[in-house]
Amino acid sequence: MGEPDPAGGAGADWRSDWDPMVAAVGRDFSDGAVVYGADPVTATDIRRFLEPLEFDCPLHYDREAAAQAGFADVTLPYTAALSWSIPPMWSPGDPPLFDDDGRDAQPARSPINNPDQGPAPKTTGYFATGLEMDFVRPVTVGERIGRRGRTLLACVPKETSVGRGAFLTFESEMVTGTGEVVARMRSVAFAYVPRPAGGWDGGAV
Amino acid sequence: MSTQQRYFEDVQPGEAIAEVSFPLTVYRLVMAAGGNRDFNSIHHNGDYARSTGAPDMYASTAFLLGTWERAVRDWIGAGGTIRSIRGFRMRQFNLVGDTTRVLGHVASAELRDGAGVVVLELRSENSKGVTVGPGQVEVTLPVRAAGRQGRRVS
Repeated sequence: MGEPDPAGGAGADWRSDWDPMVAAVGRDFSDGAVVYGADPVTATDIRRFLEPLEFDCPLHYDREAAAQAGFADVTLPYTAALSWSIPPMWSPGDPPLFDDDGRDAQPARSPINNPDQGPAPKTTGYFATGLEMDFVRPVTVGERIGRRGRTLLACVPKETSVGRGAFLTFESEMVTGTGEVVARMRSVAFAYVPRPAGGWDGGAV
Repeated sequence: MSTQQRYFEDVQPGEAIAEVSFPLTVYRLVMAAGGNRDFNSIHHNGDYARSTGAPDMYASTAFLLGTWERAVRDWIGAGGTIRSIRGFRMRQFNLVGDTTRVLGHVASAELRDGAGVVVLELRSENSKGVTVGPGQVEVTLPVRAAGRQGRRVS
């Protein structure tokens, strides 16, 4: 991620800079292909997901309990589908990910930092602000999850306490390797240019 | 999680679910990033988070969603299912050095096509107030007695 561009999303006409993105509402930003997560679901990785949550449900670690509930193997927590649909940061053959030894230097690329900004103005800040999910069924060990589609549902330019940007709502399906839909997701994120320390005009905020 | 399964017939309107607290330390946020693959530096690097306009590092969406599922699963037991999450709106940062608590209650319950469908209203709070939600999580609970279509508790 580079530095905020004063002539870009934070300029005087910063709201109108978002017009092309507003006009793109309804467009599918994906190329139609399913983008799969880095790895299939494993019991080991589920355990690592559960650990910081101190999440104790036998469906997620006990095959016998999962079988009694009608599942072929232990299941992934529903909301963890989000994590298992994240593509790898690096794969064999890719160029280096870490090419800068600055303490806070960012990796050369990341699948979670607003990778495809489309016709939006350049932004360097990005965080999720909301989510809705519909779950069709739990995912079990051995399955792989991907995201299909990335349709822009809304683009609302706004200045907030952290900067100037827009709230973007995208919709995707989560599918298994066979293309079966296991969940649907609508996510809202704020993509923005961080507020300069001295304010937008170099003075007090 | 309680080993005793909750059934639809056990549900009372307005009933609170057990509150779950999540003290947010750097250690925990780093573990969470490793577990849920959201390695965005805003979730584990205070200096970087501050450069983006946030007061400090803060919990990720994946972790916060997990806190809701943990609280819901603790209540519905292994025999329950989760159908949807609505209104999961992150209003404030869930900052490191604070405790995020998940609270909720039964908003409605009805038998629908033989399933015990319950809507829980959830929210997260820390020392600054509500940080996530209030949102609605639709779940199902096993039903002891069949053939009681139309019962509604709301």
